[in-house]
Amino acid sequence: MKAAPCILFVVLWLLGGLSYAAFAEEYTFDESEIEKKSYHIGGYAEFRPVLFGLDRGASLYKLKFYNRDEGATLEEYNAALQLEGGLEKGIARIFVRTNSEYQNSYLGGHFKTSVYEGFLSIRPSSSLTIDIGKKALKWGKGYAWNPVAFVDRPKDPDEPEQNLEGFIVASADCIKSFQGPLKTVSFTPILVPAYQDVNDDFGGTGHMNFAAKLYLLIYDTDIDFMALSGGSKPRRYGADFSRNIRTNLEIHGEFAFLKDYEKRFLSESGELVDKKKDVASYLAGIRYLTETDTTYILEYYRNGTGFTENEMTGYFTFIDNAYNAYVPSGSDMLLKKALKATSGNYGRPNLMRDYIYLRASRKEPFDILYFTPSITWIYNMNDKSYSLSPEILYIGIKNLDLRLRASILKGERFSEYGEKQNDWKMEFRARYYF
Amino acid sequence: MMRMLIAVVALLVAIPAHAIDGAALLKQVDRNLNPESYESYRKLVNVEPDGRRKEYTLFTVKKGADKVASLFLAPASDKGRSTLRLGDNMWLYIPNVGKPVRITSLQSVVGGVFNNADILQLDYAAEYTVEKVEEGEKEYLLHLKAKTKAVAYDRLRLRADRTSKLPKKIECLTEANMLIKTIHFKDVKDFGGGIVRPSVMETDSPLYKGYKSVMIFAKLKAKDFKDEVFTLTFMPNVESLR
Repeated sequence: MKAAPCILFVVLWLLGGLSYAAFAEEYTFDESEIEKKSYHIGGYAEFRPVLFGLDRGASLYKLKFYNRDEGATLEEYNAALQLEGGLEKGIARIFVRTNSEYQNSYLGGHFKTSVYEGFLSIRPSSSLTIDIGKKALKWGKGYAWNPVAFVDRPKDPDEPEQNLEGFIVASADCIKSFQGPLKTVSFTPILVPAYQDVNDDFGGTGHMNFAAKLYLLIYDTDIDFMALSGGSKPRRYGADFSRNIRTNLEIHGEFAFLKDYEKRFLSESGELVDKKKDVASYLAGIRYLTETDTTYILEYYRNGTGFTENEMTGYFTFIDNAYNAYVPSGSDMLLKKALKATSGNYGRPNLMRDYIYLRASRKEPFDILYFTPSITWIYNMNDKSYSLSPEILYIGIKNLDLRLRASILKGERFSEYGEKQNDWKMEFRARYYF
Repeated sequence: MMRMLIAVVALLVAIPAHAIDGAALLKQVDRNLNPESYESYRKLVNVEPDGRRKEYTLFTVKKGADKVASLFLAPASDKGRSTLRLGDNMWLYIPNVGKPVRITSLQSVVGGVFNNADILQLDYAAEYTVEKVEEGEKEYLLHLKAKTKAVAYDRLRLRADRTSKLPKKIECLTEANMLIKTIHFKDVKDFGGGIVRPSVMETDSPLYKGYKSVMIFAKLKAKDFKDEVFTLTFMPNVESLR
């Protein structure tokens, strides 16, 4: 299993080298390459095997594997096909993006197809665009986290550049440009219905929610102000900014204020506790490019909706107690209760309060063409646990990305990364674009 | 004595008559390269020391001195990406990421010798002042200095043909006069509409020994666009301009 991706990697690299060497020396520009069509079809196909090194003493291992023995390692095979198509006629455009995933793991085979996006866009002028349908809005300037992404699904800091499934919305982009320090103003009002069969996972159902974003480019700084209200989620307000302060240095930040946020957590005794209060989340980050072509992304994230150390300890202690009760009795009633609470409240990534994200990636070091080695460190400042993920990306073959990544999770007992079901993970990803 | 006086007066009158207005010459070079507002298609080819190549096809629109946007048409892995430059501000929109992110001029969205400032090139007169002009038999040599620290290269040495006033070669230098890269302008072509300019820009760099990046132009034509096209909010829609 471990050798297979490496062999595949080397073979594809060699094949890529041969195909490039076959190119002729002349530069040609066939104008048929740039002919515009009224439609386009594209996407990618992906194969991603993963090997997990299990931590049999961890709380989340006990929770998921209490009634089975999967040994020391666990294999998982993932395949995905993402298709997108667009059709343009006059001022109208239809865009659809679907995502089909197949996963074969210890739970067996599982296939799922979702429409990630599918909307009609009307553009009467370059100053106005109206979109109706399912759309991912992706608000915020942060790389790993976006506390101001009020109308998006949470992104995974391990894969921050992945496509996300959108929500059904009606939105408009109104843009106005100016001369002087204020160069651009754009306003984006959005309607987000949340009813039984429409966006039922957005928040509470039976509401028509209203969100809006005001964007300014002023004094060479991007600034957004945003808000969401309507009943499905607690009312929230936010702002973000981004600015290049040197030719190789960018700074960014986000701030979100949530009114009457209701936090639900599992106590040590298994009681579900609700706490309601106003919370603030924020993020500050930089992106820095060195002379040796190394890019650093550094972010600090304060998650106001996150759990405290005591709350997490209570949750892990309850799982351990539930497991200890299960072993002699065979009754998994308490473990099922913990599983239910996990999927509802503890299932999101980075669920505690203070995090640091650091990613360093070096383009083509030591003249090794098309290779980008990177390392990503996500550090939980509250319990001092972390994940460390070195990876290499190879893009030497046209339209094919090959990535090999390892992740090591470290932490004390009752810490976020210390109690994950696995201690390490090795993943290979081959993605072909068409 | 009278003859000497006449000679001195004649010399004094003659010097201003032959002095070259560097700023006007640079603006002329800019206008000869492109109309102030235009659309064009470009192919970028990165050539590695072993002859391997990587190609990108871009659609580009420009307005005025400081607004440029580009859309990647090929390869499939980059299709739909767009870049925007408004003065010193630069952004990259990647469809997968779904939102524009700020990039810096020294980064390169395509790798190779061209960086973002080369790909989203503004008018030279918008970013540089002319410090000195040297006149050769067949060419002008313009010594340019960046107006601000935000410009990718602190100094340029631009060699332009005396007759056509088109650039032949540009050397990009650091503040300490260290050569970063050289851009060679080749294959002058008539694009129609009165636009006659080099159709190939070739770049090499002592920092990337053996590497070469080439930019080939096609379908360059004057076209006006609304200012709103050059905004962050419009970036996902650049394709609609084609």
